[in-house]
Amino acid sequence: MTELLQQVVEGVGSGAVYASLALALVLIHRFTGIVNFAQGELAMISTYVAWQLVASGMSFWLALPVTLAVSFAGGMLVERIVIRPVRNAPELTMVIVTVGLFIFVNAMAGLIWSFTVKDFPQPFPDGGIDLAGARVDWSTLGIIAVVAAVMGLLYLLFQHTSAGLVMRAVACNPASARLSGIRVGRVLMLGWGLAATVGAVSGVLVAPLLFLEPNMMGGVLIYAFAAATLGGFDSPVGAVVGGLCVGVAETLAGAYVDVVGADLKVGVPLVIILAVLLVRPQGLFGRAAVERA
Amino acid sequence: MTEPTTDSAEAARAEAEPDFLKVAGLHAGYGQARVLQGLDFSVARGEVCAILGPNGAGKTTTLRALCGMVRGRGSVTLNGTELLGRSPEQTARLGVAHVPEGRGTFNDLTVEENLRVGAHVRTGRWRRGSAERAAVAADLERIYDYFPKLRQRSRQAAGSLSGGEQQMLAIGRALMLRPALLLLDEPSLGLAPLVTRELFEIVRAVNEEERTTVVVVEQNAQLALDVAHRAHVLEAGRLVLSGPSREIREDGQVAEVYLGVSVRSGKDGGAP
Repeated sequence: MTELLQQVVEGVGSGAVYASLALALVLIHRFTGIVNFAQGELAMISTYVAWQLVASGMSFWLALPVTLAVSFAGGMLVERIVIRPVRNAPELTMVIVTVGLFIFVNAMAGLIWSFTVKDFPQPFPDGGIDLAGARVDWSTLGIIAVVAAVMGLLYLLFQHTSAGLVMRAVACNPASARLSGIRVGRVLMLGWGLAATVGAVSGVLVAPLLFLEPNMMGGVLIYAFAAATLGGFDSPVGAVVGGLCVGVAETLAGAYVDVVGADLKVGVPLVIILAVLLVRPQGLFGRAAVERA
Repeated sequence: MTEPTTDSAEAARAEAEPDFLKVAGLHAGYGQARVLQGLDFSVARGEVCAILGPNGAGKTTTLRALCGMVRGRGSVTLNGTELLGRSPEQTARLGVAHVPEGRGTFNDLTVEENLRVGAHVRTGRWRRGSAERAAVAADLERIYDYFPKLRQRSRQAAGSLSGGEQQMLAIGRALMLRPALLLLDEPSLGLAPLVTRELFEIVRAVNEEERTTVVVVEQNAQLALDVAHRAHVLEAGRLVLSGPSREIREDGQVAEVYLGVSVRSGKDGGAP
């Protein structure tokens, strides 16, 4: 029982990381209808920015807000330069553009920082606490706390500020938003900036657990896709719940299902994606697309 | 809000500004398809103007050209300011509120949030003083007074409203802009006759109380002519008939030819 609890808490910890990247995916999808395959790579670049700042002597907790600000600006820039020129293009074009962005960003990171693995500092103290007999690391708790804080801030932004209201309006019906005088282009830039920021959180949190290298986010992106599919690509709440479910499922399957073990853990998200698409394609919290005649 | 004026004063003002909205040589279309073949008409300040005509005549395209949703050639001036060549968001900021065909409500947002989005231009980041916030609150009340059903449903998602309520919400949102010009595209579309009638009565009330200039595109000619001061009949991208609503209504033969309805029977009411 104690071990089960321990596994669940660890699952929630890694699930929180998936949840924040899934949330970034969902934000972009809500705003622009695009599945951004480059989301993980943008998070990876952000993590390198954080690493660079820390390596040059900045404390982690100072480097974090700076990194998030840089990510925000970077996300806006990507929208303006890469996405807006093709905003009216067919879906497949969009997919190719984001895949191209994926490759470009990945190569850029390799060019600047090389493909050798770097050690990312662990921002949370060693040790942990005793939770009903289970041992929970500070790092796990720290990740959960940071992701919870980000979710809370996003909730406040979207539900309780006029900027958030405008963003929701644009996500819901861009044509009507235009007719209400909203400068939709600017709002979409903000949306991309926001998504890049949320994604950056996942990169910075996961880097100490993995090793920092340009392909670091590949696996995380798959888990985030599973999370977003499970929760529904339209639902921010779904992304968070989906992320946590995927994290726990992955950990439990690795620990208790002998066939899966540590090696096949990566297959878990794919099984989840497949199962969700078969049973409930719109995800747990998503809405089925209804085409009006 | 405009201060109350007497009818005669208002008539004098309309007289003084017969070209509040002036459309001259307007051509517009989609790609290769040229829909509007040179429209000329004016709308006086405070007037309700109906644009009638059969399907495909270019009614909706006319409104879309006015608000910047489709590109137009020629000239459209509002109070002397050229509107053509501007984006919809710029046009909205000049005081043109367009209620599109199919309503265009923000279905994920609550009724009240929809209305607040409508006031966004006035409460944007740089001008959000407490005075402006109070004005928005007062405007919300004003809209709820026109549309009591919206008040009852203020916390409900717009997507859960009935078609008529959504149309009311769309008009309410447009009014939150405090528009100089309100464009209504087929407000009766898909609505029951009684609901449509109620809606047009509210449009009339808004026009009378706020002195908002209105251009309404409608297939239901009887209803539109009841509310409008003037009407233009459009066919195949050209104006074929213009005049005071009363004249057009009484010219039953013309109406039957161009509108495909027997307008005179409208007096009996309730005709489908």
